Amino acid sequence: MMDFPLILHFFVAFIGTLGFCLLFHVPLRHIVYASSGGGLGWITYVYLTGTGNSPVVACFLGAIVVSLVAEVFSRAGKEATTLFIIPGIIPLVPGAPLYYTMREILDGDFSSAASMGAQVLFMAGSIAIAILMSASVTRLLVAVKNNLSANRS
Amino acid sequence: MDKAYQKKVLILALYAGELMMKNGAEIYRVEDTIVRICKACRIPYVECFATGTGIFLSLDKGGTDDDVYTFIKRIHSTSTDLMKISQINDFSRRFSSTDLSVEEGMDILRNIDQQKPYPKSIRFLGAGLVGLAFCFMFGGGWKECLLSLFVVLGTHFISGVIGRLQFNQFIRIFLSCSFATVASILLSYAIPGILISPMIIASVTIFLPGVSITNSARDLLSGQTLAGMAKATEAMIIAVAIAVGVGLVLQLWQISGGVL
Repeated sequence: MMDFPLILHFFVAFIGTLGFCLLFHVPLRHIVYASSGGGLGWITYVYLTGTGNSPVVACFLGAIVVSLVAEVFSRAGKEATTLFIIPGIIPLVPGAPLYYTMREILDGDFSSAASMGAQVLFMAGSIAIAILMSASVTRLLVAVKNNLSANRS
Repeated sequence: MDKAYQKKVLILALYAGELMMKNGAEIYRVEDTIVRICKACRIPYVECFATGTGIFLSLDKGGTDDDVYTFIKRIHSTSTDLMKISQINDFSRRFSSTDLSVEEGMDILRNIDQQKPYPKSIRFLGAGLVGLAFCFMFGGGWKECLLSLFVVLGTHFISGVIGRLQFNQFIRIFLSCSFATVASILLSYAIPGILISPMIIASVTIFLPGVSITNSARDLLSGQTLAGMAKATEAMIIAVAIAVGVGLVLQLWQISGGVL
């Protein structure tokens, strides 16, 4: 997947996420931000898998990028964070590994199917954990900030 | 401040909660919104319990001759409409910071409820873009991308038709994915030399459980273990529906002598 420049990958993932924004009825003024979040997450994933990292780690870091970008946009626009996370996370959801697991099962190659299936599970889990972690870090930062401003006044 | 007022607040809060849940909000956000609306109407004792399929709400004004009102609301259909979530979020913030009356609140919520999603043509455009982009991302060339655009449009259309027939989610996704696979296989016969894998992957992408995974994680973080696990299970069931829908068709094709 590294035979194309990263900027092209960003652009394509941007288009894909844009499609999901239209399906999920994201307000017009947020569509560009939500789509660029999806693009950034995807190029993180592509870059990391291209440099030889495991897809699970790449997926985890990609989801971290998506949700941190989403937290920033949602603070800036006073919006719900899910508005940016839900479309942005879709490129990372393991649809292709799910399909290849199915193919391996049909070919009767169960050991490949098991390792591919485990990869699907771990990728989905890593997305969930990435969302959890970035949300809790944001909550922690907000709590610290509120605490500081309360102490000062 | 009579009992009728309490009932009106109850209906308003439940309506807001129902709208949020029907449009794919997290459970903790639903509970939070309901409690915030009730507190804004100066009702001191509010208990709300929401699961993925219903809302339970009790409220009490706390006086000696006030009754406790309890209501259960069953939520049936769920879809994803982030515009409505954003607007209700905005509404609940506005409702608690200014003194809108309960009737005005009901009017605003009704307006939000009656909003339509983006028109059909735009949603089809969205589905087409998804097909085009995801096919490229998973290794398709320009021929596959163009074809998968049409496959996704067809899949989206089929999914809409099955959705209108009131089938459940599993059947809808299963049948739509089967359709996508059949269409991809037939196209690969019509035009020799194209890969079917990127096309099938791109067309099942519109059903991937991204919403369930996201909401499940965020609910689990907020201590909503029940709703979080329910959403995780939903994600699993969707994944199984996709895999079975695609796999069954591929298998039948191989049994009947076709080459993949």
